[in-house]
Amino acid sequence: MATEIQGMGHSVKRKEDPRFIQGKGNYVDDVKLPGMLYLDIVRSPYAHAKIKKIDTSKATAIPGVLAVVTGEMLKQYNLHWMPTLMSDTQMVLPVEKVMYQSQEVAGVIATDRYIAADGAAAVEVEYEPLPVVVDPKKALELGAPILRTDKKDKKDNLIFHWEVGNKAATETAFKEADVTVKQDMYLPRIHVCSIETCGCVASFDKISGKLTVWMTTQAPHAIRTVFALVAGHVGLSEQKIQIISPDIGGGFGGKVPVYPGYVIAVAASVLIGKPVKWIEDRMENIQADSFARDYHITAEIAAKKDGTMQALRIKTIADHGYADAAANPSKFPAGLFSIATGSYDFKTAFAEVDGVYTNKPPGGIAYRCSFRVTEAVHTIERMVDVLAHDLKMDPAELRMKNFIPANKFPYKSALGWEYDSGNYEAALQKAKVIIGYDALRKEQAEKRKKGELMGIGISSFTEIVGAGPSHTFDILGIKMFDSCEIRIHPTGKAVARFGTKSQGQGHETTYAQIVAEELGIPVDDIQVEEGDTDTAPYGLGTYASRSTPTAGAAGAMASRKIRDKAKKIAAYLLECSEADLVWERGKFYVQGAPQKAKTIQEIAFAAYTNHPQGMEAGLEAVSYYDPPNLTFPFGSYICVVDIDRGTGEVKVRRFVAVDDCGNIINPMIVEGQIHGGLTMGLAPALYEAINYDEEGNIQGGSFMDYLLPTAVETPKWETDKTCTPSPHHPLGAKGVGESATVGAPPAIVNAVVDALAHLGVRHIDIPMTPWKVWQILKEKGVAAER
Amino acid sequence: MHATSTKQFQVKQPIEKVWAFLSDLKKVASCLPGAQITEAIDDRTYKGTITVKVGPITSQFNGEVKIERLDNQIHEIELLGKGQDPRGSGGATMKMVGKLRSLTEGRTEVTGTTEITVTGRLAQFGSRMMDDVSNHVFEQFTRSFQAKLAQENGTGSEVAFAPTPQPVNALPLVLSVTGKVIGRFFGRILGKSTSS
Repeated sequence: MATEIQGMGHSVKRKEDPRFIQGKGNYVDDVKLPGMLYLDIVRSPYAHAKIKKIDTSKATAIPGVLAVVTGEMLKQYNLHWMPTLMSDTQMVLPVEKVMYQSQEVAGVIATDRYIAADGAAAVEVEYEPLPVVVDPKKALELGAPILRTDKKDKKDNLIFHWEVGNKAATETAFKEADVTVKQDMYLPRIHVCSIETCGCVASFDKISGKLTVWMTTQAPHAIRTVFALVAGHVGLSEQKIQIISPDIGGGFGGKVPVYPGYVIAVAASVLIGKPVKWIEDRMENIQADSFARDYHITAEIAAKKDGTMQALRIKTIADHGYADAAANPSKFPAGLFSIATGSYDFKTAFAEVDGVYTNKPPGGIAYRCSFRVTEAVHTIERMVDVLAHDLKMDPAELRMKNFIPANKFPYKSALGWEYDSGNYEAALQKAKVIIGYDALRKEQAEKRKKGELMGIGISSFTEIVGAGPSHTFDILGIKMFDSCEIRIHPTGKAVARFGTKSQGQGHETTYAQIVAEELGIPVDDIQVEEGDTDTAPYGLGTYASRSTPTAGAAGAMASRKIRDKAKKIAAYLLECSEADLVWERGKFYVQGAPQKAKTIQEIAFAAYTNHPQGMEAGLEAVSYYDPPNLTFPFGSYICVVDIDRGTGEVKVRRFVAVDDCGNIINPMIVEGQIHGGLTMGLAPALYEAINYDEEGNIQGGSFMDYLLPTAVETPKWETDKTCTPSPHHPLGAKGVGESATVGAPPAIVNAVVDALAHLGVRHIDIPMTPWKVWQILKEKGVAAER
Repeated sequence: MHATSTKQFQVKQPIEKVWAFLSDLKKVASCLPGAQITEAIDDRTYKGTITVKVGPITSQFNGEVKIERLDNQIHEIELLGKGQDPRGSGGATMKMVGKLRSLTEGRTEVTGTTEITVTGRLAQFGSRMMDDVSNHVFEQFTRSFQAKLAQENGTGSEVAFAPTPQPVNALPLVLSVTGKVIGRFFGRILGKSTSS
């Protein structure tokens, strides 16, 4: 029986995979409705320009082109601007001017996707170029062109200034410190590049007044509420909006925001009364959808001579593009960047972030990370190595010396977080043993004598995931709880619906395992559903590794409510007192008489056929789980690299990842997520960046310039784990989907810098492309001549 | 995208004849592949089009070119041009200074300095090719310039040129560049294997 139940800790094969691997998934682009029209978007070639004229006559003359939607048209309904999740505003379609290259300028609606594209090419737009601001530091200078001229009182390009920590105490600590180190670093713009680009099918029924939108969104309920708030005045009210998030081909934070394309498609469908499909192409996806990172960081550590770290100080400029379209919780304009003290026992710390407008696409999303945690982890893990470099200490030893001791949890960090649990020494020790750290150091010393370049890099990261407790966390005022509703059918099978939305994480499997664990119903008997706002309970969606910490917990809590009722029914059926009943997974039995038992299936049947008088029939429950705290997964990664002195190419020879995400629901899925996350961490470390030239032209707007690692570039990942359960999560679990993306890049950078440390190299900005590394080799006189 | 370049070539004509040709914008434009003057606004400002094809992108820029400075004494002309592709692929601005210097044996040295700023799709894709494309354009321009100048002065044409504007096509150029790279690569491997 127990093996059939397949609860926590089983590597159950993913229920969703049979349809995915057979090409039977149902993605937004698979939705085809009778009479469906197609939208294509005219985009700006300029990063900053006045729109003098939009001539649509040649486009509308093309047979099959039905309409060209412009900002002027949307303005009539006051839909030309929309709010961002950060309470900023962004254009749906421009009326006055464009603010970044590839910005939406007009939407062409046609009977065919290709005709729509022809129509978009035939729309003639006359622009008057305006001065372009690309560098956020220059954007802050006095006399810089003010970009947001739509905001009447805006006199500069500063979006926000945010600070956290004890400034005075940190300044004192720096004054009194034996040693201080300082380093500038830049985390460039990158893009999530999920396999599926963004898109929607908007279908407005003029008779019923109902709008149904199949949409690539990670947060369908929040989107429904935003639509109701933004378009309420044109008659769309929340009960008549259905958002369906079908199978999603990867989200990684890029499918949290509302993009103008969605709104244009919805507006067009409402106006025309026919379904309208919009699917981005790859270049639109990279060039116009929300980016991630783009943090210009200056960090400092104050320490004692023996390496004991005392204080941390960070100043950051965050380039948000022309609008703050991040998807952070409202009270956290710089996300959870304040996790920057990391795994270390700092006495005091201070961090400040300035958000800045530039002529680039809006955003600042959390790319596979819990709101700027990647930036924070990169900063601290890099800085520990900078300190080790200056003190000539071993970076592993320096980490061990400064870790928050295992017996100090729950631990209050200098920047205000209460870490739930951790054992950092154990994770690093395990990683060191697996990789053979001491032997590698000896090998490195030998190789250096021969002039060969080999480096070992460590990252002992701490994440903060599972937003979040309602006292602190909300998005546009909506608290960041999440939900689960379970119904047990008379035959003992179940349907469980959640407020989150899987984009490949395997929720249909892991959520079923949670319910199976709690109720003893086999995984195969549990149907998990998400993503349809007409059926699923309200929730804030899936991002920031929040599904297991919030909705997963809600699944456990709803199951427990059901178990409580089941116990009452069992007592009635067994004619005993509830107090005499003992729960063993899948059944209640009478204490001392295990043969007197009722299975959960028998109890479920009774709930509909023979329930006690005075009790409501049925067996179902809902839980809206408000987590008491976030969860703090962690890990230690060690990376070994060899550098080709001829080409500057970095070769990752070995990479050991020891993760700790508390109790594990499905080890196979966790391992898969770590493999994927490590590859997504390798990518920005070595390959990915979106840069802009002085005119705001995107450099890296297609896969020709934006390099994703393939299986060829990806090393063999060696994964292992330690297990430190979360004390407050009902299952002792923590989020894990993002740990590797967050933890991997600094391990790789630290390894490359370590390979060159003896030449005086202390820091390298990512991506560490062969060209960049080769230039350093050349400068240091160690590049191999052919 | 911003690119500056200076190019030089010589023609077998005396400076006054070359200057007469160079200071006539319509004539100069006729030497530029893909360019066409469509309308004279005044004697120093013209409307025109230029078609550029880089890889998969064909852009037709509609714009204006203006003689900013014309110095008959030192034989220097400064042109300012700006154009936009109405179909949204982007825009470009150009500043060009043309300068003549008299050489011996009735020859003249022509020096052209251009500063080009490109915005839009061309600048996204084309950046790695733009230098090669501009060299290619310049080569065609030089040939055409010499041929037309010679023809005008009755000394016969050495080089045939297309009578109607042809867009600059960078594809053959890409192929030839790729060929060179591949050649270098194999050359290196073979060189290595023989020396080791």
